[in-house]
Amino acid sequence: MIEVEHLTKRFRHATAVDDLSFSVPRGRITGFLGPNGAGKTTTLRVLLGLALPTSGHATLAGRRYRELAAPLRTVGAVLEASNYHPARSGRSHLRVLAAAAGIPQARVDQVLAEVELSGAAKRKVGGYSLGMRQRLSVAAALLGEPELLVLDEPANGLDPEGIRWLRNFLRSFAGRGGTVFVSSHVLGEMSQLADEVVIIHRGKLVAHQSVAELTLQATGATRVRSPRAEDLLARLRAGGIDAEPTEAGTLAVHAPPERVGDLAAEAGIPLHELVAEKGSLEEAFLELTAEPQP
Amino acid sequence: MNALRAELLKAVTTRLLLWFGLGLLAFLLLVLSIHIGSHDLLSLSQRSTQRSTLAFGGLAAIVAVLIGSLLVTAEYAHGTINQSLLAVPVREKLLTAKLAAAVLVVFAIAVLADAATLLIAEVWYHGRGVNLHLGSDTLAPFLGAVGGSMIAAGIGVGVGALLRRQTGAIIAILLWLLIGEGVISAAGDSARFAPGHALGAVVAAHEVGARDMLGVWAAVVVGLLYAAIFCTAGFLVVLNSDAPTSGD
Ligand SMILES: Nc1ncnc2c1ncn2[C@@H]1O[C@H](COP(=O)(O)OP(=O)(O)OP(=O)(O)O)[C@@H](O)[C@H]1O
Ligand SMILES: [Mg+2]
Repeated sequence: MIEVEHLTKRFRHATAVDDLSFSVPRGRITGFLGPNGAGKTTTLRVLLGLALPTSGHATLAGRRYRELAAPLRTVGAVLEASNYHPARSGRSHLRVLAAAAGIPQARVDQVLAEVELSGAAKRKVGGYSLGMRQRLSVAAALLGEPELLVLDEPANGLDPEGIRWLRNFLRSFAGRGGTVFVSSHVLGEMSQLADEVVIIHRGKLVAHQSVAELTLQATGATRVRSPRAEDLLARLRAGGIDAEPTEAGTLAVHAPPERVGDLAAEAGIPLHELVAEKGSLEEAFLELTAEPQP
Repeated sequence: MNALRAELLKAVTTRLLLWFGLGLLAFLLLVLSIHIGSHDLLSLSQRSTQRSTLAFGGLAAIVAVLIGSLLVTAEYAHGTINQSLLAVPVREKLLTAKLAAAVLVVFAIAVLADAATLLIAEVWYHGRGVNLHLGSDTLAPFLGAVGGSMIAAGIGVGVGALLRRQTGAIIAILLWLLIGEGVISAAGDSARFAPGHALGAVVAAHEVGARDMLGVWAAVVVGLLYAAIFCTAGFLVVLNSDAPTSGD
């Protein structure tokens, strides 16, 4: 659905996107991850025709954004910064966009209801809260009933309730066959939402894999507490298992809890605690985007 | 056509036009009152004075160039250009729609300015007991004001696209009108080709030119040329630059 090919975007003093290539499949939720300044926003702005690429290109449904016959009906976009005229009402803002895209005005009230903003529709956007602006952005993205949503950090400024609303909303959108490409630097959010993730760092692709794979790849460890920790440590190492004592007096073992438990039982070593520490997406992410050690 | 409708909707969903319209009316009231009030009865009764009085509607051209520039720069100032480009990604199409919207809006404002000028002049003349002659010789500036304003709107859109900064564009336009044109006047006969002089000549609508003023048709051609040059340059700049990530 989205193809980014050898995309490079240089600003005067910085290369924001550096020969980046990836594709986003139809009908799934793909997360777009990277630390601050990784080049997510820049990539999305080039994709949406707002910024011009230095080289390479990005296409949606096989076309560049400016070549789309009916852009708002093809892709709905939520940009990072909310861009409103403060003196215009939320409803007027949407009416302008609907007029420009040839979308019937009745649709404006529908999307306002969909994002639960009907009550504030006639108020000036200048008086909206951050969360309300974000909802208005989502409403604008939905105007043309597109199959594809591109969102740049849509959770920014939303409270937990708002974030849950957004998550459910995107899930049900994808559930109806829609494609979602959503950027974030908040990983926990992505692990609960995305099917797969594209991770970039300093404008380059670091990983593109399913969330499940990525989580697996993250180093999972088993935490063990035993009154005979030293015996257990020796025993584990003798068995070729990597393990080290932690500051909390437990052992961190790089093996599944089953193996650790069985081994302790064979040796008759009592265990007071045996916990599988799930590798989190967060850890995998930090590992992938860690600064190279000098 | 959709893009044009959207541009017109943009123009009427903020207070911009209202303030410019009211400002223009107040200004007309002031300058016309001073103008008519300060002339003696003899000169007031002359056709040439009546014609120059009715030409005050041409002040709409100043508002026109500002409105033209603001229709572009306000989008950059508030960052709404991003949303506009998402809806109409072909930039030349968006800008052309803005140009058309500016010309239409300004047409309405110039007609309003003419009507207000006529009304205010009638009231003053009546008050001073002089008969205001309304014929083709005195009313020609009314058409001039409309035409001059529409050309001015085109120049404004071009300047707005070229600079893309709201305050920058307004200051540049005002400085040019207040100082630039005056400095050029010192340059002699060729000053009549300066944009402000040319628009003034369109408003004055004299068929035959003079040393310091072009004839109306020559002035229209020169004015359109300025609009074409500024719009071409401005459109090229917009086409080849990134939209701002957010408003200033
Ligand atoms: N208009 C611009 N002019 C100059 N440099 C820019 C511009 N936009 C972005 N950059 C630079 O490009 C790099 C990537 O920025 P970008 O906004 O794409 O990152 P990001 O991944 O979206 O970060 P964040 O998570 O903070 O939103 C940064 O170093 C930034 O300073
Ligand atoms: Mg960003």
